[in-house]
Amino acid sequence: MEGKVNHTVSCDCSETSVVLILFCSLTAEFDLAGDVTNVNRKCSAVTGSGRKLKDNAADWHNLMLRWEKLNDEGFTIASNIVNARRSSASVSPLCSGEAEGSSGDLVLGNSALREECEKLEDVVNKMAAIVAKMERLMASQRGLVDLEEFQFGPQGRKVPLFHGWNAKDFVSSCGLLLRSFTSELRLKRVLLREVAHCADRDLSLVYLSCWLHQPLVPARARLALEAVLLETGQRHLPG
Amino acid sequence: MSKSALLTIHQALRRSFHSLENNQKLWKSVLAECIPLMASLENLAEQSRALSNVQISNTPLKDFPEVEELLRFKLSQAMDTVLCKLHENMASLQSLRDSLTNQVSTVVQLYEQNTDTLDLVTVTERSATIPSVVDMLEWLQDAERHYRQQFVRRKTLLHALSSGNLNFLATATKKWKELDTPGAEDQITDTLCKVSFFVESS
Repeated sequence: MEGKVNHTVSCDCSETSVVLILFCSLTAEFDLAGDVTNVNRKCSAVTGSGRKLKDNAADWHNLMLRWEKLNDEGFTIASNIVNARRSSASVSPLCSGEAEGSSGDLVLGNSALREECEKLEDVVNKMAAIVAKMERLMASQRGLVDLEEFQFGPQGRKVPLFHGWNAKDFVSSCGLLLRSFTSELRLKRVLLREVAHCADRDLSLVYLSCWLHQPLVPARARLALEAVLLETGQRHLPG
Repeated sequence: MSKSALLTIHQALRRSFHSLENNQKLWKSVLAECIPLMASLENLAEQSRALSNVQISNTPLKDFPEVEELLRFKLSQAMDTVLCKLHENMASLQSLRDSLTNQVSTVVQLYEQNTDTLDLVTVTERSATIPSVVDMLEWLQDAERHYRQQFVRRKTLLHALSSGNLNFLATATKKWKELDTPGAEDQITDTLCKVSFFVESS
């Protein structure tokens, strides 16, 4: 994923603050309807629901970027764990003393293995925090759909928010992202639990491969994010 | 008359040896780029093989019944990406081979056009610094043949790898390295050394 998308408003909104966001969006909408305030003019031309969706899109992008970084970090740790397990398994109990002496750093002791597992747990916890933030983003986006319905009736607004999507389209695209990352997190938790206990070489390799390739995050998740960024004007078509 | 024809051929030979030198460098660098790609292809094949050996329903991953299919898809996608890069490298090798072939055929054509004016003594005459025309033509044709054969062999191997046979993919790097012919490469370096005075003299 390339560079970070700029966004001016951070979206650490908890579920309880959705009402507040709705209120803010409402007032911002009134601003747009009347005269745009100086503050709004300075920040961006987009206000109200559009502004919120744009910031959310940037947050989705940044969260996915952080997820990828954590995934790489976790993969290195998981490979260390698998290698440590394999080298300790190859050392027979009788000559373990000699072998440990001869293979030096290669053989991680139990404490080192535990340390690596803790690091991996830490990574998974950070991933869980990202998914929690994604859930909050989804909640705020669902809130926006309700707000739009409240403001413009069940048909939604006549003028599109950006190029053509309405608030529901954003919810369906981001829903795919949330579902993918939630299931991937479930898989990561299983991998975290099992990777250090696996003696089978092939299964260890499958675990590592699952960690690296993230099978439950489909390629179209990336496309969905790009579509959201394109729609909100944060990505431009080349050429 | 024979003097001017000889000069023209010498000029064409100089140009060809220049491009042979560049060609050799670029060829080596493209081949060096392929080695890590072959290693990652091998690695992906190993992952696919491990996935085939594991019965997912008997493992802690049984809660994710779709994971096998999805992972296999991701692995083949990653393999495709690597193969694509290798094909791009093959395209670079092909253009190198083509440019050398063109150069060499131009020189040979030039020689054939002037066979009437060049007698046997002129084309076989050599000095301490300038090898004879026939020798140089032979060396160029040898080099050109070497690159042509190398390209076809590597391209064939890549096609075989693209079939997705895991056992075959598992030995990709070894098979790729087996195609190396250090003897022929040394011979080209040798040739370039032999003609270095000639190429530098204008």
